[in-house]
Amino acid sequence: MSYEMIALLMCTTLMVLLLTGQRVFGAVGFVGAAASLLLWGDGGSEMPFNASMVLLNWFPLLTLPLFIFMGYMLSESGIANDLYKMFHVWMGPLNGGLAIGTVVLMVAISAMNGLSVAGMAIGTSIALPEMLKRGYDKKMITGVIQAGSSLGIMVPPSIVLVLYGMIARQPVSQLWLAGVFPGLLLAVLFIGYIVVRCKLNPALGPSLSFEERSSISRREKIALLRAGIVPIAIVFMVTGLFMLGVTSLVESSAVGAAAAMIAAMAKGRLSRPVLDASLHKTLSVSCMFMWIILAALCYGAVFDGLGAVHAIEILFLEKWGLSPWGVLIMMQVSYIIMGMFLDDTAMLVIVAPLYIPLIIALGFNPIWYGVLYTVTCQIAYMTPPFGYNLFLMKAMAPKEVTLVDIYGSIVPFVTLMVIGLGLIITFPQIALYLPELYFPK
Amino acid sequence: MFKALVTYTKYVDALNRLVGKVAMYLMFVMMFILLYASFSRSMLNSPVVWAVEMAQFTMAAYYLLGGGYSVILRGHVRMDVLYSTWSPKTRAIIDALTSFFLLFYLGMLLYGGISSTAYSLEYGQKNYSAWAPPLSPIKIIMVVGIVLMILQCVSRLIKDISKFMGVDMLKTYGDVMP
Amino acid sequence: PFVHASKKTPIRWRLQTYAGPALAEHVIKPQIDAFNKIASGDMVIELYNADQLVPTPELFRAMQRGTIDAVQSDDDSIAAPVDVAVFAAYFPFATRYSLDVPTLFNHYGLNEIWQEAYSEVKGVTWLGAGAWDPCNFATKQPIRSLADLKGKRVFTFPTGGKFMQRFGVVPVTLPWEDVEVALQTGELDGIAWSGITEDYTVGWADVTKYYLTNNINGAWVGSYFANSDKWEQVPEHLKTLFKVTMDSSNYYRQHWYWWGEAHYRTKGGKLELTTIPEEEWAQVEAEAIKYWDEIAATSPRCAKVVQILKDYTETMKKAGKPYRYA
Ligand code: NA
Ligand code: NA
Repeated sequence: MSYEMIALLMCTTLMVLLLTGQRVFGAVGFVGAAASLLLWGDGGSEMPFNASMVLLNWFPLLTLPLFIFMGYMLSESGIANDLYKMFHVWMGPLNGGLAIGTVVLMVAISAMNGLSVAGMAIGTSIALPEMLKRGYDKKMITGVIQAGSSLGIMVPPSIVLVLYGMIARQPVSQLWLAGVFPGLLLAVLFIGYIVVRCKLNPALGPSLSFEERSSISRREKIALLRAGIVPIAIVFMVTGLFMLGVTSLVESSAVGAAAAMIAAMAKGRLSRPVLDASLHKTLSVSCMFMWIILAALCYGAVFDGLGAVHAIEILFLEKWGLSPWGVLIMMQVSYIIMGMFLDDTAMLVIVAPLYIPLIIALGFNPIWYGVLYTVTCQIAYMTPPFGYNLFLMKAMAPKEVTLVDIYGSIVPFVTLMVIGLGLIITFPQIALYLPELYFPK
Repeated sequence: MFKALVTYTKYVDALNRLVGKVAMYLMFVMMFILLYASFSRSMLNSPVVWAVEMAQFTMAAYYLLGGGYSVILRGHVRMDVLYSTWSPKTRAIIDALTSFFLLFYLGMLLYGGISSTAYSLEYGQKNYSAWAPPLSPIKIIMVVGIVLMILQCVSRLIKDISKFMGVDMLKTYGDVMP
Repeated sequence: PFVHASKKTPIRWRLQTYAGPALAEHVIKPQIDAFNKIASGDMVIELYNADQLVPTPELFRAMQRGTIDAVQSDDDSIAAPVDVAVFAAYFPFATRYSLDVPTLFNHYGLNEIWQEAYSEVKGVTWLGAGAWDPCNFATKQPIRSLADLKGKRVFTFPTGGKFMQRFGVVPVTLPWEDVEVALQTGELDGIAWSGITEDYTVGWADVTKYYLTNNINGAWVGSYFANSDKWEQVPEHLKTLFKVTMDSSNYYRQHWYWWGEAHYRTKGGKLELTTIPEEEWAQVEAEAIKYWDEIAATSPRCAKVVQILKDYTETMKKAGKPYRYA
């Protein structure tokens, strides 16, 4: 069988197996293992386990369980409740103010954790019920929470950018810096959308009643600002110390996990059940990611062994005759389409190694490309049928939010993200300004 | 026969729960190793040679020993575009059928693991580092983790088939399996 | 791959090198291209870079099992299960110039010793050794005395690393491709993995600032290995061809590194040179001789190699300039 045939067979088998609903890691792992046997006979039989040794040597992966634990600790610690109250009181008087406050809350949460789960947990448990109670449009606010929490992978610290850095061999410090302004840009786009919608139709986000507003004194309002102190301290200890070179990357994740635990302890919320629940969720989510990466590494190695990097290059440049920009856009489109169906970690481990050498060869900046990739991941989190935020929303949303609401809610926000992606492609400085400022060539 | 299978699932589930609950705490071990390394380097000015390696070994143990329990916790995502539209019975039978693929993968993982562990024992393989700890202990732990994963997936297979055949899941297994 | 070869089924080999893409471009790719060209379809070697198919620490095992057919690496990096592996890569102060390596192997009996050692390991055939570049420190902080080495986390080879621990160096081992990033993220303070040519070629010169001119070894010893069954299946003329191209690669590295060391030191522009005074560096050399004796005590074969190294050094000293200047 020719190499092209094997590659094609691998992709179609994977698609079919995924559609059966078998666990993603099982589907990916089977195709990788079977293909390596088919390709290399007995010699290929150890490829699946070899992947575990690759994983063992990938030190940045240590950040994964630690950042995940940190996220759960934060959502349990009650830090978010105080923050929410602060934004609620300060932004409430505006039309759509609670939704705007939620976006800002999500940016703050994103600066303290590396995935979207913590943001989703906090958004659905704290912000969503409050806004529903006050008559906010449920379709708009489910979208706000899904899109807002997805900033967790863009605003540093970011696990997705750590994984990207690992695959693309790019420094995480620069990638994290590059994520700052794009994250803020997206947040501004979300807020702009809310403002415009609520201006046109104030019923979508009614402002807080006069009674509710006047029940809070000026003094109390000022006191609420203290809720910001702990988050700022945590951001400094995790991202700040890392950027200053005091802690290494993996150490920064341990510092973050410890800091979040201390914060929860200080609030008196670190009970036995809370700790137990956080440890369970951390194990469950970490295992999910690790096993997918384990399987995808085997799949990716076989794919690589088939010469897929070279094949992609020939396909894009020679067969389709694309210009460098054409190639770039083609890649983003393919990510967005794949992101609908595929887990983004598997997508990263399998597809990114094929794209990145070409991106560098075409003269694009791999740091900037990491940011573009991350936006497509954010989109992938929200687009059906396969999206982590969709799954989380389905699992955590209150009863009155239906599946139709959830699917409908993402349309404007995915559109905003695509616009954001376009802006970052057109103006690379949005991503590159900070890394170039701190790491001049 | 059926009774033996039910007993098997009970023991395997209990074993994986136990191992998983212990593995869960390895997260703290990783955290402490890295905090200690950070403290020792920046405060005591004496970097620790073994810190990152030891944390990596701990992580391998964490996700492999925790694998079986994560299946019990239903932590592994599926693409549910069709899956979510099927009846529980259909899901059970499709899952049972496709678990052949899952078990094939895990089987190969185990095969490679055993062969690699045997090599590390035969030649006293050491990690490629100046600390150079022997690799066989962690490889043995990894193999144990893979075996636990296989046992758990077989347990799940038995339950899937039972569910398809209309066995009262709650009464027999104490598990509703959504 | 993805390109069909001629109609007759060629012998296919997967060869994985220890080197990443930028370095492989020099140290192996021309050889494999030449081999494939001359073999004109009778045999095709597919080249894979560091950790591409198999993680380097598992490489020996993978070759033994046939996952990989051949390997270019030093015995140390792939943890070859032979006692003499300790002398591969950078055995402290074993060599001064890159010509020392072929001289030792071809004229001082190391070839025979290596053949004997690998004949005891099943499944893998040792094909021959060649010289690479010297081992110098490239660091983020300047090293001007032995005290400056204290506490520095340095990416290096296990054997050299173990030795340099005696001077307070903290050896760190990472996948080769992660080194550049680790230097930037603070996991590493420097590298002692190559001479200056590779520092510039692979991009490490962009992420370090200083280059220490004192080296702990003058030339890396690296080898070619093959899965024994696969090697036996290769017809005689292609075996010879492979060995000839091995030597063409060995030859290229002789002049490329010799040129590069002088060129980049003087015209590189990215790394500032620092030096530890001769008298102080002599402590390291003296310590190395003690280390040699420790290794000699580990096995009779190691004792034999250490004796050869000592005889060789003695001969070089006696011969005087240009072999030795002091
Ligand atoms: Na974040
Ligand atoms: Na999606």
